[in-house]
Amino acid sequence: MNLTRLSLREISGNRFRSWVVVICAFLVAGFALATFLIAQGAGNSLRLSQERLGADILVVPEGTERKIEGALLMGSAAQVRMPAVNLELIGQVPGVEIATPQLYLMSMTDSDCCSVPDMFMVAYDSATDFTVEPWLEKELGRQLRVGQSVGGTYVFVPPGDEDIKLYGYHLSLEGNLEPTGSNLDATIFFTFETAYAMGETSLIEAGQPLIVTPGLISSVLVKVADNADIAQVATAIKQAVPGVSPITSPNLFDSFRDEIAGQRLAMTGILAVVLVLSFALIVLVFSMMMNDRRREIGVLRALGATRGDVLRSLLSGATVLGAAGGVAGVFVSGLVLYFFHARLTTALGFPFKFPSIPGLVFLVVLGLAVALAGVVLAAFVPVYRISRQEPANSMRE
Amino acid sequence: MLKIVAVILIVLALVVIIVPQFTNCSADGRVLKLESGKTVPMKCTWSARAELALGIPLLALGALMFVSRRKETIRALSILSAILGILVILIPTSIIGVCMAADMSCNSILKPTMIVSGIIITAAALAGLVINERTTEIPA
Amino acid sequence: MSMVSLRSATKTYEGAKNGAAVTAVDGVNIEVEHGEFLVITGRSGSGKTTLLNIAAGLVRPTSGEVYFDGSDLWKLSDAEQSRLRSERIGFIFQFPSLLPSLTVLENVILPASFTGRDGSAARAAELLDLVGLADKHRAYPRQLSAGQQQRVVIARALINEPSVLFADEPSSDLDEQTEREIMGLFKQIHGEGAMTILMVTHTGQLVSYGTRAIDMAAGRIVKS
Repeated sequence: MNLTRLSLREISGNRFRSWVVVICAFLVAGFALATFLIAQGAGNSLRLSQERLGADILVVPEGTERKIEGALLMGSAAQVRMPAVNLELIGQVPGVEIATPQLYLMSMTDSDCCSVPDMFMVAYDSATDFTVEPWLEKELGRQLRVGQSVGGTYVFVPPGDEDIKLYGYHLSLEGNLEPTGSNLDATIFFTFETAYAMGETSLIEAGQPLIVTPGLISSVLVKVADNADIAQVATAIKQAVPGVSPITSPNLFDSFRDEIAGQRLAMTGILAVVLVLSFALIVLVFSMMMNDRRREIGVLRALGATRGDVLRSLLSGATVLGAAGGVAGVFVSGLVLYFFHARLTTALGFPFKFPSIPGLVFLVVLGLAVALAGVVLAAFVPVYRISRQEPANSMRE
Repeated sequence: MLKIVAVILIVLALVVIIVPQFTNCSADGRVLKLESGKTVPMKCTWSARAELALGIPLLALGALMFVSRRKETIRALSILSAILGILVILIPTSIIGVCMAADMSCNSILKPTMIVSGIIITAAALAGLVINERTTEIPA
Repeated sequence: MSMVSLRSATKTYEGAKNGAAVTAVDGVNIEVEHGEFLVITGRSGSGKTTLLNIAAGLVRPTSGEVYFDGSDLWKLSDAEQSRLRSERIGFIFQFPSLLPSLTVLENVILPASFTGRDGSAARAAELLDLVGLADKHRAYPRQLSAGQQQRVVIARALINEPSVLFADEPSSDLDEQTEREIMGLFKQIHGEGAMTILMVTHTGQLVSYGTRAIDMAAGRIVKS
């Protein structure tokens, strides 16, 4: 029989108080993991979305920045148009290496014409595109033909069908891109030619036609030359092309960044409150436990246990309780965040991407460490005090 | 401890019974229209009904575990609960399934709720099995 | 050289707010020789338990010195004191001191786990046999009577073959018959191993079991 085993036996003897400590550790670990996962995941999602677009500058009609960012990240509807002539003007600005247009469309909700409702569609110019073409080159070795499409990770052909029907037009799905955690994962990409064909078909096949006007686009993605300064090129575009707003890459999705920062502050605040309350509760519980066991600890000291023995034994009990609660907390928190990811994204108003396995393991360990450190530090104060008492004083009534 | 396991099973059985009834596509007013013009329920509706069929016996198992004292009885109840927990997960993921669109409530609420509930039910049932085997006397 | 020696030992407890300080032991000098069975008597509040605790190193005196087999107890580190207590001293407390979450056998072995001695389980079984509880190894303290619990405490006190036994009112809560049995054990232990015993009691009748007796009042020795 050693003191650690004795301490573990004492845990099962003091059920209610042990459960209080376990629940506190559960809450701290769960909230900590949720905070870390969402904060880091949101940042990852924005970064991956930016990389997916691949642009140094995104040029959109003035006043539509938030709308376009919302469409790309969250899939909200964005009927945004500007004259196609802007593309030529942008292309002439010094420092612009490539300028490629995109057109944003939405499939319809609750309609026979669309086999997948509320899908975000992006038409691109295959001659100049650098968003989808590099992937096509790598995976398929060719460009998309008319009637073909490529989708984000969540785009699929409905079971039982051979292709995707949009506005009565049949599209084949040639492949799926890697996940970003944002609405780009539920976006379908096809060429302008396909978009025009879809528009024509919709006049006959769909209840509501899809208007695709040849002279209009939604945005222009710009790649800046190596020796040019992005900010200067953006300023030049603003001066050269009336009625547009160039968003440079670091500032892309800024409005979401602010929202994420706000949410992160709120979640960190909640975590801090949970941590402080748990800390206070655990100090109280351990103070009560030590008071109850005062005499017993005095006896142990009299029988030969050193102060260190007593400290180690009592803290090992706290560690076991903290670990039990912490493991349960990260387990449940991880499960909920993983399986309710889509719902949470809608509730939070911004996307977040679940990290890779090594990243996830790191965050789980971090969440567990926060809970364990909290429990052990909280228990340390009353435990230290009692370990320093003279045996006879501990044993006094 | 066994009583806590039983309470967990009862609470989650209620979740398994109730949540799918309000988060399947029929509840949202959506149905499948066939070529012939006939309408049939989407498969998430069948998943919801199957979960109801699993949740009711699970509720009974949890209640029985709460009042039981015999080791052999609790052992059987734990094993059955674990099996039901696994089925709760399999119904919306592979045996029947739900709609594929990510934003439909059957996909974003019904399926993850059943998966999480099923995992916790199975884990709790297995924990109950282990605790029961270790107990030398059944508490009065 | 004495086994246990106190020189001008004084213990004063600070009073609670606005209360006067209490001197529990006042300048006591004692020499306890090897093999002595010293009985310390006195009324409640006479300071006899505090004197015992000072002699055993369980509480530091406010002033004065305490020697155990020639070593100044309070010049030792906490680890050295703890080792001394586990290897050389056995304790029998006035209150029920068995750990409720351990079995009888585990309680008896507990002091041996601090010294890392081998064969303690076998020795524990022998001691339980000696005190008449051979069939109670797996019982828990709550399943024993007060007298049986005190026998287990005696067995625990002897597990490390101590040089000195400190007993604080070992039979205070027991009936006469059980008290006689417990004191019989003490006499047997003292007789067999020439062990040094310091025993505190408020019962004058138990003085005859010792080789020497001292009487205390108001923190001082009044009769030796």
